[in-house]
Amino acid sequence: MDLLDRYLQAVKKHLPWQRQDDIIAELRANLEAQLEDKEAALGRPLNPVEAEDWLKQIGPPMQMAARYQPQQYLIGPAVFPTYWFVLRTAVFWVTIAYSIGIAVQIAVRTPSWAALLEGVLRVPEVLLTTAASVTLIFAAIEFTAARYPGRWPAPVASSGDWTPSALPSVEKEVVRGQKPRSYAHAVAEVIFGFLFLVWLLLVPDHPYLLMGPGAAYLAVSPFQLAPVWVQFYWWVVSLNALQLGWRWVDLLRGSWRGPRRAQQSAIQALGLIPLGLLLTVRDHVFFLLKHPALDQMRYGATLESINQGIYRAALFILVIAILQLVWEMGRMSLDAYRRRAAAMR
Amino acid sequence: MTLAENLFENLRLELRRGCLTLAVLALLRQEHYGYTLRKALAERGLEIDESTLYPLLRRLEAQGLLVSEWREEDKRNKRFYRRSSDGEQIFGQLLKEWQAINASINKIL
Repeated sequence: MDLLDRYLQAVKKHLPWQRQDDIIAELRANLEAQLEDKEAALGRPLNPVEAEDWLKQIGPPMQMAARYQPQQYLIGPAVFPTYWFVLRTAVFWVTIAYSIGIAVQIAVRTPSWAALLEGVLRVPEVLLTTAASVTLIFAAIEFTAARYPGRWPAPVASSGDWTPSALPSVEKEVVRGQKPRSYAHAVAEVIFGFLFLVWLLLVPDHPYLLMGPGAAYLAVSPFQLAPVWVQFYWWVVSLNALQLGWRWVDLLRGSWRGPRRAQQSAIQALGLIPLGLLLTVRDHVFFLLKHPALDQMRYGATLESINQGIYRAALFILVIAILQLVWEMGRMSLDAYRRRAAAMR
Repeated sequence: MTLAENLFENLRLELRRGCLTLAVLALLRQEHYGYTLRKALAERGLEIDESTLYPLLRRLEAQGLLVSEWREEDKRNKRFYRRSSDGEQIFGQLLKEWQAINASINKIL
């Protein structure tokens, strides 16, 4: 029967080459026996329409061939939970590392919106590369584990080898950064965040809001602020606007109760940018003389001392901020690892 | 197919999968080749697609539960399957398990 030969030929194309002849021979014997039975029942050969219906009922060649193949996964159910955990962790850390890298790069060069935009636009590429790399590694693990079972360490803790007493103690309900926030607290954060931003925006025109009586002294003093403070100021404004927007979105989405450690860490990481900006100012010039030609002799040494003091203070704050960020990241990773280990046991 | 029908079909297939293995092992106390086995199952009310049964026989053989040999019958070469000694043992255990589950389900219902 020509149609059956064509069907078997199509099935064969999708079978593993080592076994295809054997499988096709067996399938042919079974289907021919079935065909003979059908024809005996009818008392005549099947007509083309009946033959087509019969083969259609058996199923498409590719589906028939697929059933002879072992079930294959790119990443199987045994490896998937570990893969998912590693993928999320990798994406998170790469985002943080990339943000810091970009911030430092922008700070070292002349800060510009174009450089910031370029950095932001490259984020999808960085994240996709990270995800693809992790997926590739886990696909290789799956491939190897499937082909050499027993010779490869189990990618997840085996179900029999665990002790309940080794489980971590119950986490306290109130953990730093994870304390459930009340609605009033969340609303207050948005309102005070908004008021702070307004206050910040008023400072350039009304410096006394920041310095109090010191503003009057600055007005009559021989010193003036260097241009770097303008850039620093706008970074601070941008960060506060971002944080306010984030809180506002949380409030609108109803997600204000949830832990905000990742959000806080992101803001902390971005907060390194203005500090980096201060530290990369050429010759550590934070204040200038209003009339250098007149006042250099008299106030030059004082100016140098003020600038060096501000530089050291900024450096100290940056070190503290980095340590704090690393500490927080470490805690988050440890917590995630503990939760993961507890879930896998 | 609606979502509910699709869900039912998936659950039905899941429920049948283990039972089919048990039924195949049960019938292969006697030697059969693929088509006669399929007919024997259908006569006892268990219809099973060709694309499910024939690969299943191969898998059970690869797992050591069946043995097979090519032999000529009615002027045609056919592959005959029967339970192996491991297959006998596993079948006994599976049968007990199935009977226990069946009894429990009946009690629950």
